[in-house]
Amino acid sequence: MVMESIIEDEHFKLLTFLIVSARGCVDEPSLYGPLRLIDAAERLIGLMDKMGKADKRLIEIMETIRERKFSVMSNEAEFIKLLDELVLRISRIIKETQLTR
Amino acid sequence: MEPRELLGIIKGRRSVRRFLEKRIPDECLKLIMEAGIWAPSGSNIQPWQFILVRDPILIKKIKLISPGLFGNPDALIVACVDKNRYEKAGKIGYTLSLMDISMATQNMMLMAYSLGIGSCPIASFNKLAVSEILELPDSFEPVLMISLGYPEEWPRPPERRPLSEVVYVDGYGKHYRG
Repeated sequence: MVMESIIEDEHFKLLTFLIVSARGCVDEPSLYGPLRLIDAAERLIGLMDKMGKADKRLIEIMETIRERKFSVMSNEAEFIKLLDELVLRISRIIKETQLTR
Repeated sequence: MEPRELLGIIKGRRSVRRFLEKRIPDECLKLIMEAGIWAPSGSNIQPWQFILVRDPILIKKIKLISPGLFGNPDALIVACVDKNRYEKAGKIGYTLSLMDISMATQNMMLMAYSLGIGSCPIASFNKLAVSEILELPDSFEPVLMISLGYPEEWPRPPERRPLSEVVYVDGYGKHYRG
């Protein structure tokens, strides 16, 4: 890959987001840590979708994050409720997944 | 202008994080920046320097290192304080410069809103990386960024703490009841 195009690469975008967010979290409000993590999760699902690896349930999680993540700035309780809801939804995906032993 | 009209602009401004793909005319950006430089500043030092970013590739690069920058704005204004200027105000100079830049950027956001343009103040960006990408001189410290663009929608206003809670009359303790 030529360096000129790396800034368009979705993996690179996520990588830079994670690195600068790590530095930002040192100084920012504590709830911005969870915000950056679910923002990264939203980006990761977007990436998985482009690779054909995200099913309907993951897409719905991505859309939920997109719609409700900014509650962190106006309603802390609502934001934490969102995090719990995301944990529950991802847990259900894990639970319902059948693995062959 | 009627006082209520100004209050309407102040109350109507929202932090916009989703933008349309629509070009902001140059004359609008000029008005926005002009509103900024007419802000008050301590000792009239005018400690600010602004970098207007219109190049879409540069915006993309800045977005990469700005976790607080959401959506795809048409323009960015990177507000910097200039050490060579704020030092003239003595030990308090840096603190004053942050107040000054806040007033300047608020002016800009209000002007943007009056032009139908959405904005969002952003402090969550990596200063070191922004300085590197924009090749800022050592005396410039980027402290705030404003994203600008036509809004996909105007967000609903978050609740405000009421005057009776945040204002005291003639000293602490007596709540404002106006």
